[in-house]
Amino acid sequence: MKSRFAPAFKLLLWAWMCLVLAGAFFYAPLAAGFLGESSRILFFHVPMAWTAFVAFLAAAVWSGLYLARREPRHDRAAAAAVELGFVFCLLATVTGAMWARTMWGAFWNWDPRQVSIVLVLIFYGAYLALRGAVEDREKRARLGAVYALLGLVVAPFFFWVVPRITFSLHPDSIVNTRGTIDMESRMLQVLLASWVGFNALFFWLHGLRCRLGALADRRLEA
Amino acid sequence: MASGGIGWVVAVNLVIWTGLFLMVLRLDRKLRDLEKDR
Repeated sequence: MKSRFAPAFKLLLWAWMCLVLAGAFFYAPLAAGFLGESSRILFFHVPMAWTAFVAFLAAAVWSGLYLARREPRHDRAAAAAVELGFVFCLLATVTGAMWARTMWGAFWNWDPRQVSIVLVLIFYGAYLALRGAVEDREKRARLGAVYALLGLVVAPFFFWVVPRITFSLHPDSIVNTRGTIDMESRMLQVLLASWVGFNALFFWLHGLRCRLGALADRRLEA
Repeated sequence: MASGGIGWVVAVNLVIWTGLFLMVLRLDRKLRDLEKDR
């Protein structure tokens, strides 16, 4: 399989994320109501959480494709998306806890937003455990695909519904309950640029993970 | 935080990002070599 990312695109991604880093600290202003420089974590914490959501959504799509066509490459793609989504989700949880330590005085506060992201981690951690527990490849792929499709309900509920129906000390969602965005334009620019960068990084890593999986499968078949 | 302090944070983050990027790039090349061998 050929790499989907040309060398120029990889270099562009490197430069893009360097600019995001510089923009997060030198271009975007501090948000009101936050202690010190703590609001700058927003440019990494939120895009990582959104990228995790994209990954889980993509995993559901590939799982649906696997159930429809029974092609192993779709199963590999779904599993790789969940693995990477799990990592991005974990990073969002850790950066959120770091921010909470500064703003709320403790890493863990049983805030609904903290609990909901940990429930997402448990749900997808169980997916990985399930795949690890089934030896038969076809059965593993089928069970995994059905489980990942369940994520189409679980992930949107914990990412988008829970924050809007519970009282939380967490700052308002970027897109608030009125469906509008209350954010200074330079902050929004850096936030969206960061999200684009993290998504590109996700799809690059995903391509690598799929190619690695294909090589491992070929070795098993040989 | 003084702007000098922020400069250091950015510099450290840039070094970490560049290191991670080069690591992934190396993995990409290794994979391509493995695929060529097969």
